[in-house]
Amino acid sequence: MELQAAFLAVFSVETLLTILLCGLFGLFVGSIPGLTATMAVALIVPVTFYLSDVSAIAAIVTLTAVCIFSGDIPTTLLRIPGTPSSAAYVDDAYALRQKGRYANALSTSLMFSVTGGLFGTLILFLCAPQLAVLARQFGTYEYFWLYALGLSCAAMVSGESRLKGAIALLLGILFSLVGLSEVHSEPRFTFGSEELISGIHFIPALIGLFGVSEVLRGLWSVGQSTTAPSINDTPVQTDFSVVRLLSEWYSMLVRRPWQTIRSCSLGTVIGMIPGAGADIAAWISYTFSKRFSNTPEDYGSGSEEGLADASAANNSSLAGAWIPALVLGIPGDSVTAILIGVLMMKNINPGPDIFTQPEQVTLIYSIYLSFIVANLVLIPIGYFGIRTSGLILKVPQRVLLPVILLFCIVGSYAISSSLFDVALILLFGILGFFLERYQFPLGPVVLGLLLGADLEATFVQNLTKDRSLGAFFSRPLAAALGIICLLIWMAPAISAGVRKVRQTSSRNKSA
Amino acid sequence: MSLRRFFWGVLVLLASIAGCETQENFPHRPITLVCPWSPGGGTDQVSRKMAFFLETELGVPCTVINATGGQGVTGHRRGMMARPDGYTIAVITFELNTLHHQNLTTLTYEDMIPLVSVNEDAAAIWVPVDSPWETLDDLVADIQSRPGELTASGTATGGAWHLAFAGWLQSAGIETDAVKWIPKGGADPSIQELMSGGIDLVCCSLPEAKLYYDRGELRSLGVMAEETVPGFEDIPTMREQNYDWVLVGWRGFAVPLGTPEKRVRILREVMQKIVKGEVVVDGDSFPEFMHQRGFNNRWRESEDFRAFLARNDEALGDLLHSKAFASLAEGAVGPYDFPILLGGVMICLVVVQMVVSHRQTRETPQDNVALDSSVEKNHFDSIINVGCGIAMVLLYLAFAETVGYVILVSVLLFLFLVRLGTRWVSAVAMTVFIVPFVYSLFSTVLRVPLPRGWLGW
Repeated sequence: MELQAAFLAVFSVETLLTILLCGLFGLFVGSIPGLTATMAVALIVPVTFYLSDVSAIAAIVTLTAVCIFSGDIPTTLLRIPGTPSSAAYVDDAYALRQKGRYANALSTSLMFSVTGGLFGTLILFLCAPQLAVLARQFGTYEYFWLYALGLSCAAMVSGESRLKGAIALLLGILFSLVGLSEVHSEPRFTFGSEELISGIHFIPALIGLFGVSEVLRGLWSVGQSTTAPSINDTPVQTDFSVVRLLSEWYSMLVRRPWQTIRSCSLGTVIGMIPGAGADIAAWISYTFSKRFSNTPEDYGSGSEEGLADASAANNSSLAGAWIPALVLGIPGDSVTAILIGVLMMKNINPGPDIFTQPEQVTLIYSIYLSFIVANLVLIPIGYFGIRTSGLILKVPQRVLLPVILLFCIVGSYAISSSLFDVALILLFGILGFFLERYQFPLGPVVLGLLLGADLEATFVQNLTKDRSLGAFFSRPLAAALGIICLLIWMAPAISAGVRKVRQTSSRNKSA
Repeated sequence: MSLRRFFWGVLVLLASIAGCETQENFPHRPITLVCPWSPGGGTDQVSRKMAFFLETELGVPCTVINATGGQGVTGHRRGMMARPDGYTIAVITFELNTLHHQNLTTLTYEDMIPLVSVNEDAAAIWVPVDSPWETLDDLVADIQSRPGELTASGTATGGAWHLAFAGWLQSAGIETDAVKWIPKGGADPSIQELMSGGIDLVCCSLPEAKLYYDRGELRSLGVMAEETVPGFEDIPTMREQNYDWVLVGWRGFAVPLGTPEKRVRILREVMQKIVKGEVVVDGDSFPEFMHQRGFNNRWRESEDFRAFLARNDEALGDLLHSKAFASLAEGAVGPYDFPILLGGVMICLVVVQMVVSHRQTRETPQDNVALDSSVEKNHFDSIINVGCGIAMVLLYLAFAETVGYVILVSVLLFLFLVRLGTRWVSAVAMTVFIVPFVYSLFSTVLRVPLPRGWLGW
């Protein structure tokens, strides 16, 4: 009965139209670097006053799902992550595009985004209340290990040299410490500038490191046009149909079902923890994917597996963020914080009651259904996005570069209408240009900026509570996360040790 | 010939638009509200609701921008230092009166024109329902029996609720460091930490804990209000329990100094209508929204607001400059401990990296040389190109605020396109298409205000 009512609510003309329009809007916002899913959702809040409850929820669900996917479009075509959650696999996506397989890369990330989204919905449907209890266990010790885990993942998977990855990561963390932190009352490294008190925002850094540095590199090679081939000269695959999209997805899914489930579950669980979102989910999932892969050497140079696992994880984390929001009324990320506001505006109080009150059951079913519809609508919208964005490849480099630079400037200004952020993209663009020249990976710098301040905050909070390091393992969940983290840190040493033992034993045999 | 005609055309167009600008029909452009706190939080919700009603009353788009970070310094600063034309409204909060006492900014409440305050929320001390403490006296006794063992949170070190809590401790005759303050980014994560069992109590405002209070997961030992707060009738005030301590956080709106008197009056009148509930959209009004969210809808008009600000600033200044608070600034871990630790690790890694790469280049020196010589040829062009890219951003930074987005970007984009070898006719065509497209895209569809010059766009 309730299910039927939910069906009627979701499949009404109003809701479907809202989903479609939000899908197109999300496609647009997500693919412009600097504009995030949070911003898109904040923008439509005034509109939701006029929408029905279900339409308002569907609008937010669709926007976030589409935004996270469409962030992959500039990632693949231009090597500029549209949203921070695409930064984990930017090298893979761009490597595929350089081989002329951009449609492959994008369709993989599209279809696995959908898979991740649907899987997350399933988890939300099946065990939201149980998982919410887990999310509630997270205190400062657990967060410390979670951030440490996310950060070390970035260093682990980056490029050929772990050492360079670690240096890039530390650089990012050090940048994140600029300004006034939440745990100290004295601003650091600001050199007297009041603008720097708020620190370095990671979105201008992201645009600078990837976007502006890519433009500078492009400008460099335009000057070399006689010697270096333009990236637009690479062959572009033309066969790109819906049938192929689905069949490739199917074959990949059948080939590696467990890996997909692993990525989706990781994404959902990480998304569920307040303060950890799609970006950490993508990094951790990518790292696991690489660690357990048969072809780890492909990662970073065009691995579709890594791309699939990471995009599944970042989309499934979106549904994960709804778990604490719906069950406990605690926002899992900034999007769900706005969502809770919208729900309360509509006199719906998220919390345990929402699952028990009979009149709310219809609403809960409608939420699940909106998730499913939104993720399915993502397929045609994403397909449309891939087809149209392919036109960018036909634009000559000398026209494209100034226009991208213009978008970088305007996009970074959009974050908080500050010219200071525009100055940051230039500084980080030059930094990125040189880091790239000396083959330092850029992804870890961004993740370091994103999580570094949180890592320090939890570190200080833990030491304020108890000055001994043993306290970091004092709670069961913290101990478990800590041990996983330590294992990851020691993994290179362990695997090197194992290799050495094997080598000596095989040498002994041959001798 | 045609070029000259083109420029004349542009000039005439500019003149006609500049003419429009001088007419006083305020407001005729989008208005921006600068919120110093992040999306989804209390101040953001209040700002967005205000923007919604302002938009229906004034008939121009009103957008909220979240300029977060630095414990509110950034947002307040940006709102108050904006161009004083009435098109930027600063959202101001309690922290305006604490930040300058902590030497984090030079701005004070005297550096802006207050419009209206919309809300005053008292701080309260929250504990889980199953906590052993029933009254504030129980808590005080426990703190005194084991000083330095209990932990509390609510905001960052030196943040609003930290002051509130320390002020209460002082009024109870307890050392302000007898309870460890675990600095947290805000009330939400603090309450979450409390629920996970990581700390013993939380000090934050009533609406921030309302959800948990309504659900029966948290109860309050005392509220720092003058009198019992409607909606929270069962929470006793501090005074009722013989602690002379009151602390309320407030939110309001202001415009930068120098805003024309006429525009200030228009904004004030509209905002007063809104906070009084005279503006109703679809049966929804501002006070009703505030009530529903548990925000105390206590508002003050401009002069009353200014007097309140002065009193509040003085009281907080006394508190912050008192001896007890000097020790609060120092946490368990110094501000440079963590950066030094990381910096040390980084230096080690860089040294190892240098050794490694030195060894590698010694092993394979030929490759690099070959690569470099092939690239050598067009170094000059490349450097000029990269320089042009950097110059475009620098020129934008230098002139965006004065010349405005449209003209500046048109010129820069045109020059840049031509420099990279596009024929000038097609460069003009592209510029004419792209610049207005991006402008309308951002300012109307995405509602992001782009820099405006003296001409207004």
